[in-house]
Amino acid sequence: MNSPSPVTASSPAGSIYDLGYRHYEGPRRGRAWAMWSLFVESFRGVWGFGRPMSAKAAPFILAGLYALPALFQLAFASVIAQQISSGSETQLLTYRSYFGTFSFLVVFFCVAQAPELVCRDQRYHVLPLYFTRSLSRVDYALARLGSLAAALFLLLIVPCVALFVGDILMQPDTFKAIGDELPKALPALPASALIAAGLSALSLTVSSFSSRRAYSAIALVAYVLLAEAVPSAISAIGRNSDWTWTDKLFALTPITSLIGASDWFFGQVLDPRKFAGALTADAYVVVALMSVVIFTLMLLFRYRRLPA
Amino acid sequence: MALIEASGLTKHYGQVKALEKLDLTVEPGIIGLVGANGAGKSTLLKILLGILTPTSGSASVLGMDTVRETRGIRQVVGYMPEHDCLPPDVGATEFVTHMARISGLPRTAARERTAEVLRHVGLYEERYRQIGGYSTGMKQRVKLAQALVHDPKVLLLDEPTNGLDPSGREEMLDLIKRTGTDFGITVVVASHLLGEIEQVCTYLLAIDAGHLLSAAPISHFTQRTPVLAIEVEEGADQLVAALAATGARARQDGSRVLVAIESDALYDTVRDAVADLALPLVRMQQERGRLEDLFRDTAPEQVAR
Repeated sequence: MNSPSPVTASSPAGSIYDLGYRHYEGPRRGRAWAMWSLFVESFRGVWGFGRPMSAKAAPFILAGLYALPALFQLAFASVIAQQISSGSETQLLTYRSYFGTFSFLVVFFCVAQAPELVCRDQRYHVLPLYFTRSLSRVDYALARLGSLAAALFLLLIVPCVALFVGDILMQPDTFKAIGDELPKALPALPASALIAAGLSALSLTVSSFSSRRAYSAIALVAYVLLAEAVPSAISAIGRNSDWTWTDKLFALTPITSLIGASDWFFGQVLDPRKFAGALTADAYVVVALMSVVIFTLMLLFRYRRLPA
Repeated sequence: MALIEASGLTKHYGQVKALEKLDLTVEPGIIGLVGANGAGKSTLLKILLGILTPTSGSASVLGMDTVRETRGIRQVVGYMPEHDCLPPDVGATEFVTHMARISGLPRTAARERTAEVLRHVGLYEERYRQIGGYSTGMKQRVKLAQALVHDPKVLLLDEPTNGLDPSGREEMLDLIKRTGTDFGITVVVASHLLGEIEQVCTYLLAIDAGHLLSAAPISHFTQRTPVLAIEVEEGADQLVAALAATGARARQDGSRVLVAIESDALYDTVRDAVADLALPLVRMQQERGRLEDLFRDTAPEQVAR
């Protein structure tokens, strides 16, 4: 490392900037460090750190809203415990159904924050500065994608932790409760990871096709709404007409297919009353993984073509 | 080792020929890259950075090939683009530190170097404010700082004085000069303003429509045969004839007469010739060879021959 050497004036001309220039002799790290640095900067950026206060509003409000039901259940754990012990039927939030119930907030989070990560650098032409450093285009795209996935994972896992703590507190024997609850809660980890990967790949890729935040957000909303609504509508028609192939269209839905895939980790299938004869849980997992791969490839393709 | 070498460097964008069989060998120093807009300056810089791949031919920076050893080059090169390249919603310190890390500097070193470099380019209290609120001059300084922060061996500056007012221009040029001389960093400055290049550079590359016009130390351009420009209200052609009769090399240029000054006796010759012809003399002035002449039809050397 460069030791602090005394500052010397090197030019007799003596302008106000003239405090001497020291060369940097320390270590220079490579690509991996550059990617990690970009990942960290992006992750902070998603949550608005290092940005003005207004940039923190959207992510924190949405994350707060998403976690709120779970936190309520945690806060009223003792009340709920009494109700259960008194034999009354109580509908509790579960690890499995949580994302499915409140997924619209996660989608809002993506709509608000994914454009932030990729539009800014295009709009203000920051990309040439990255691409003329040791970062390649692929490195750049993957670091950004990874940071959004990590942020989404955090967003998804916090309510699950709250539910876990709440469920334990409801029971008299804490240690036994942990033993009972853990197997039920653990599938939430891989399920959240898959959902985070799927949503981040989708939203970052759609966002990257415009340099304007607003256009990207609109495109993302439009895509999610259409891709959810159209297959459902067609399959509803299909059900009335006794077609079976129409149910396969559910593979095209971005959110429903992720919910279906996450159910696989909990050993269950999507509610057959709502999605009569739709895909099996295995198929949803395959579909979700494929969509991650396809969207990531599209993202890389997009960044390959962007001018520097 | 040559700083920049290029042989047969050609870049075509479809039908447009941005660079055409460029051959170069450039030694370290402050190198001016002049040419009109669209002459191929930015294209050349981008090829040197490895962002663009040449259509044919090859180029190298510090002995590293721009296509095969791009990573090696990028470790030792700093680049300041022509256009805006700064996000508006972060402070200069935050942004430059981030860029330092992307360049491979560890966390602490990135912070230290950022503080130092921002001081060098002359950004003080305002460096914590958001870049969006900066003046053009301050933005140019941040752009220079991010190019300098990883202590490159070569700095490629694309139109660094773009959009600056005269005093901002002077300050930027001074900064470039100090970077080249005091910091010991080789600087390549691309500009369409010859006057600026003249002030700071030690070596000049002039390109026009993708072709190399000339490449030589700056002194070569400013130490040519001096030329005397004589302005007369009428009878310029008579004066040329009279001067030619005395053996002086003269040429008419509009209402002016240009004569090569080969000895001090020329002044007497001119005085006598003007007096003999009774011409209304407006002004006589010595013209030093200037860089502008590169891009003019009547370069003094051509006149004098």
